[in-house]
Amino acid sequence: MSQSLDAYLVVSGILFAIGTFGFLARRNAISMLMSIELMLNAVNLTIVSFGAFIPALNGTASVIALMVMAVAAAEATVGLAIVMAIYRNRRTPLVDEYDSMRQ
Amino acid sequence: MIPSVAPLLAAAAAGGAAPDSLINLVPLIPAIPLAGFVFTAFFGRRIGRPAFVLPLLGVTATWLLSMAVVYQALTGGFGEHGAGTTLWRWISAGAFTVDVGFFVDQLTACLLIVVTTIGMLVHLYSVGYMAHDPGRWRFFAYLNLFMFSMLLLVLSDNFLTVFAAWELVGLSSYLLIGFWYPKRSAALAAKKAFIVNRVGDVGFALGIMLIWVSTGTLNMRDAFDRIAGLDHGTILAIALLVFCGAVGKSAQFPLHVWLPDAMEGPTPVSALIHAATMVNAGVYLVARANPIFSHAPEAMVVVASIGIFTAILAASIAFTQTDIKRVLAYSTLSQLGYMFAALGVGAYVAAIFHLMAHGFFKGLLFLGSGSVIHSVHDEQDMNKMGGLWRKIPITHWTMLVGTIAIAGIPPFAGFFSKDEILGEAFKLNFGWVWAIGVVVAGMTAFYMWRLMGKTFYGESHVDPAVEPKIHESTWTMTLPLVLLAIPSMLLGLWLGLPFGNSIITQWLHPVFSGAEQTLGQATEPFALFGIDGALILASVAVASVGLVVGIWLFGFFRRGGHRQTVEAITASSGATRFLYRASLNKWWFDDLNHLLFMVIGGRVANAVWWFDRNVVDGTVNGVGRITVGAGSGLRRIQTGHVQNYALGIAIGLIIMAGSYLVITAR
Repeated sequence: MSQSLDAYLVVSGILFAIGTFGFLARRNAISMLMSIELMLNAVNLTIVSFGAFIPALNGTASVIALMVMAVAAAEATVGLAIVMAIYRNRRTPLVDEYDSMRQ
Repeated sequence: MIPSVAPLLAAAAAGGAAPDSLINLVPLIPAIPLAGFVFTAFFGRRIGRPAFVLPLLGVTATWLLSMAVVYQALTGGFGEHGAGTTLWRWISAGAFTVDVGFFVDQLTACLLIVVTTIGMLVHLYSVGYMAHDPGRWRFFAYLNLFMFSMLLLVLSDNFLTVFAAWELVGLSSYLLIGFWYPKRSAALAAKKAFIVNRVGDVGFALGIMLIWVSTGTLNMRDAFDRIAGLDHGTILAIALLVFCGAVGKSAQFPLHVWLPDAMEGPTPVSALIHAATMVNAGVYLVARANPIFSHAPEAMVVVASIGIFTAILAASIAFTQTDIKRVLAYSTLSQLGYMFAALGVGAYVAAIFHLMAHGFFKGLLFLGSGSVIHSVHDEQDMNKMGGLWRKIPITHWTMLVGTIAIAGIPPFAGFFSKDEILGEAFKLNFGWVWAIGVVVAGMTAFYMWRLMGKTFYGESHVDPAVEPKIHESTWTMTLPLVLLAIPSMLLGLWLGLPFGNSIITQWLHPVFSGAEQTLGQATEPFALFGIDGALILASVAVASVGLVVGIWLFGFFRRGGHRQTVEAITASSGATRFLYRASLNKWWFDDLNHLLFMVIGGRVANAVWWFDRNVVDGTVNGVGRITVGAGSGLRRIQTGHVQNYALGIAIGLIIMAGSYLVITAR
């Protein structure tokens, strides 16, 4: 375990950037959901590392991280359900075919 | 209340004093015709032919009651300055209150005599005149509505109720002019009368508003009490605005154009509304408002000028008209002009005297013309009449009485009233009014004899198919003629004597004495062998000359006259030909109105319409179009792709975070 907070923040920043890129660039809905998970985990990593390095945040950070995991799990469930429903209608997982929000 | 009427009437007729209770019966005078109107309007169609009975009885009851009230008012039973009764508070809004109330004084009494008497006789006449009309119930319903409105007009003690009644008489006039509404000309004439009247009514309404603003009350007597305290400009404005209403209703120049066209209505209507009563409403209004006018002498000069100008203008038009009713209509305009001239010079009593006398003899002449029209099977063109005096003798003799009365030959009614107007005008230093008035008196005698000559004397020009069927009208039509001929002969002798302090002067003195004092009129003793006698001689002489020329040109009984001379005179020079054409075309006033309001007014309206359509609407539509355009431009960025939105969010976040860093770094 490195003694520097910066190293953890750099890793989580890289993870978040990858997630963001994936969300914006991938056309497949499933990949987009996976990218969201990546971003959430990057944020989680930041929270946990702040908790480890700053004594005042020790307990609080763990609680928030657990909360984020729970919300992320719920979000992934709902998101997948929506993707399944759209897939049944449109017969495609590609999001640039989904433009009914325009109406 | 109703059962107590009979004993009260009996008491009043016997001269017994019951003024306190009689004033409480005054509201019944307009209420009875109103009830007759409502009943006939709702059930008349079902009743059919006998629908005239109830309106006729109602008007007769009104006449009886009115006569009792008139007797009380003129014998001083209501006190020197009249008596009033308030029914209920109509409008109560802060300081603005309007009470519905009635008020009877000597002036009201004079009007009541004319309105109810002629109203009753015209109802009786209409039973015969409208006998074959399927819409007879409607006719009688309207007549009763008119009686209600007119009586409300003369009895109200409040400017707002007077205005309401003013509009109601206008409405009934409209309904009755357009009684034969399938006829296009009748419908148009009704519309014309209504619209022209509106022009004057705007002025009247503004005048009432100004009275309220400046005096703080609409009650007539209170307003008149406070009028002296106002500044001169306000009084002048009120007087001119009120006179504006009178000009419309009494058809004075320049709003005179509606009255001749109003002859499209049935003849009883012409007699009642457009000769004897409604057109007098303007005269009544100005006479009633004499405290206002006496404080604004400039307004009175305007009244006198417009009156005397209308008198000579209408008389000149009457020279050449061939429709018997139109001649009488222009004669009515001319006589109304006399009344306004009298009001303008300050001879209020003379104006009201002429109003009463004119009501009777002009009502008689109109009903007589109706009888003539009836007997020659609805022909109104005098060129297709002639020689009728032997065939319809009652009509002929009564109309002869009316003609002599209006011509101003003593001792008939018109002589006394007209002479009083002219004499007063001269003595009150309105020499020009007197001079024009004397000329008009001669013209009146002439054109009236032209009417008589063309209708009754000379050779017959009646359609040969109609000729053998000419017959005198039924008794319901001739009886009113005879009954109207009596006052046309005797009213002047009764009211106009003794000279200088006649009965009507004694009656009306309390009403007008205040105004006469304000105007500073000097009362000189009457001099029969001095100035007054000379004035009487002058006017009678001029009227006689007019009459003699009329007789010479248009004949008398068996004498055919020299009608071809008329054409010779007309064609003799350019000036006479121009005057003839001007008179025939009514001095082109209808054409002038057409040019002003149809052609020029139409162009202006079109220009305004163009401005409205293009500039006003253009601005509003432009705002809408810009919004729509901006919206359709902006909607392109709404692709519906979730990743575009996410990119937007990401860019936004980066900008926010970046600017935070930039700002905090400084």
